[in-house]
Amino acid sequence: LGGTALTALAAAPGRIALPFENGERELVAYPQKRPLILLTARPPQLETPFAIFDQGEITPNDAFFVRYHWSGIPTSIDLNEYRLNVGGNVSHPLALTLDELKQLGDPVEVVAVNQCSGNSRGLLTPRVNGGQLANGAMGNARWTGIPLKTVLEKAGIKAGSVQVSFNGLDTPPLGDGPDFVKALSVDQAMDGEVLLAWQINGADLPVLNGYPLRLVVPGHYGTYWVKHLSDITVLERPFEGFWMNPAYRVPDNASASVVPGTAPTKTVPISRFNVRSFITSVADGAQVAHGRPLEVRGIAFDGGYGITEVAFSADGGRNWQAARLGKDLGRYSFRRWSIAFTPPRKGAYELKVRAVNRIGQSQPMDPLWNPAGYMRNVVESTHIVAV
Amino acid sequence: MRPSLFVLSLCSAVAALAAPAALATSIDLPPETALFKPSTLPGYELVQRNCMLCHSVHYIQSQPPQSPRAYWEATVKKMKKPFGAPFPESEMPAMVDYLVKTYGAERPAAAGVK
Ligand code: HEC
Repeated sequence: LGGTALTALAAAPGRIALPFENGERELVAYPQKRPLILLTARPPQLETPFAIFDQGEITPNDAFFVRYHWSGIPTSIDLNEYRLNVGGNVSHPLALTLDELKQLGDPVEVVAVNQCSGNSRGLLTPRVNGGQLANGAMGNARWTGIPLKTVLEKAGIKAGSVQVSFNGLDTPPLGDGPDFVKALSVDQAMDGEVLLAWQINGADLPVLNGYPLRLVVPGHYGTYWVKHLSDITVLERPFEGFWMNPAYRVPDNASASVVPGTAPTKTVPISRFNVRSFITSVADGAQVAHGRPLEVRGIAFDGGYGITEVAFSADGGRNWQAARLGKDLGRYSFRRWSIAFTPPRKGAYELKVRAVNRIGQSQPMDPLWNPAGYMRNVVESTHIVAV
Repeated sequence: MRPSLFVLSLCSAVAALAAPAALATSIDLPPETALFKPSTLPGYELVQRNCMLCHSVHYIQSQPPQSPRAYWEATVKKMKKPFGAPFPESEMPAMVDYLVKTYGAERPAAAGVK
């Protein structure tokens, strides 16, 4: 299907061709957003054009990707009416305004990647149905909020509690379909790292990214980062709603994968990111000058151990060299890397990049696969030609 | 970060001046333009009636073109249960037939390309 040649190609003004069959998309500017790759208009699902990841480790708010499940989304939110309700198995149920929430404690900040479980799904072979995304359903931002723990302590979790569920203002537009609700274990909810965030990169959350408040679960897939958060419920039993089971599950094994085209015997809820790395400074199909030094740059991240090594190959993975790591914004952040590379002769080069985290986890050379198309993290190839 | 902090403080200054703070934040979504591909198949009319209630046609258009009939059958079924689509079961076969022949593995263009 000649997919690779398409990567660097913007099909026409206002359009872009993602590197897989049926990957032609419009670029559309939604409110508070620059033109982004339109996956679906209703509800809005927007992917970040990949070139933006070359501009720095922080993804601008107006370029941050958008994912929804149901089209009953809040387009007008009045802070006079808005409440965060905390209930269920607690001693003191709460109904807080945003201001009251902000006054519960000192605000904290974390730089953390948010990535959609199905980021890169369109690149899988065999293809998997669902949201057909290239690599742009991720972003890195500085989130400001208050630890979830602070709020749960205020409400007082009663003995016998096992999970905490999270619901936002988005709803099914009709019928009796399952509202989008997610759950975390009490231990994770109380770990001090999960935040209730009202700011992204020093500004209010854009409406489409969850204004006025969203859950931030550093190192964990975006499915848990519930937007427009309105209800927190402490539960005595594991939450079994549709979006926890059967949706958003991965094979219950170390690589979260099965033989392509087969089904797993046992699944578990998706949780932490695996290790990923990308070249951002040069696109697949690009032409460069031979004999001239080229700075190859990119980003790497993982589920929160922190990236400790990035290796670069210019010959399809036969020889590797250590890249230089950029600023460390924390273990949940994108880590930039760079390396100088001078293509010695004219001709084709296959560039590859592979990251390792603090506990030695890395990326597979051959792609892993699961039926929902989650967690792609293969060592990607960028083909360039030196002229 | 500095520019956004500036904007923020500007906003709170304005809010402090305006007597009862208007706290509503609203957006207008751009118009939706995607339509189902016209067809003489009986399912064409049914999908227009049944499949745009909850989401735009993009969900259908963007699926991999090799998606087989079994995928479209399972998907239409899933829209009814658990997602709660109100169409009657009797309309499902015609919709599946239109979907697989328009967007899936049984497109006329797909014949022979395999
Ligand atoms: C009652 C609401 C509702 C109706 C009506 C509805 N859908 Fe959906 N549809 C959904 C939801 C919810 C999703 C999943 C959203 C998600 O996971 O982000 C979805 C997703 C999809 C997808 C995405 C791919 C996948 O495999 O999940 C396709 C294709 C689709 N619908 C086709 C249809 C067709 C065809 C019809 C009409 C026969 C239809 N829908 C009617 C609610 C609906």
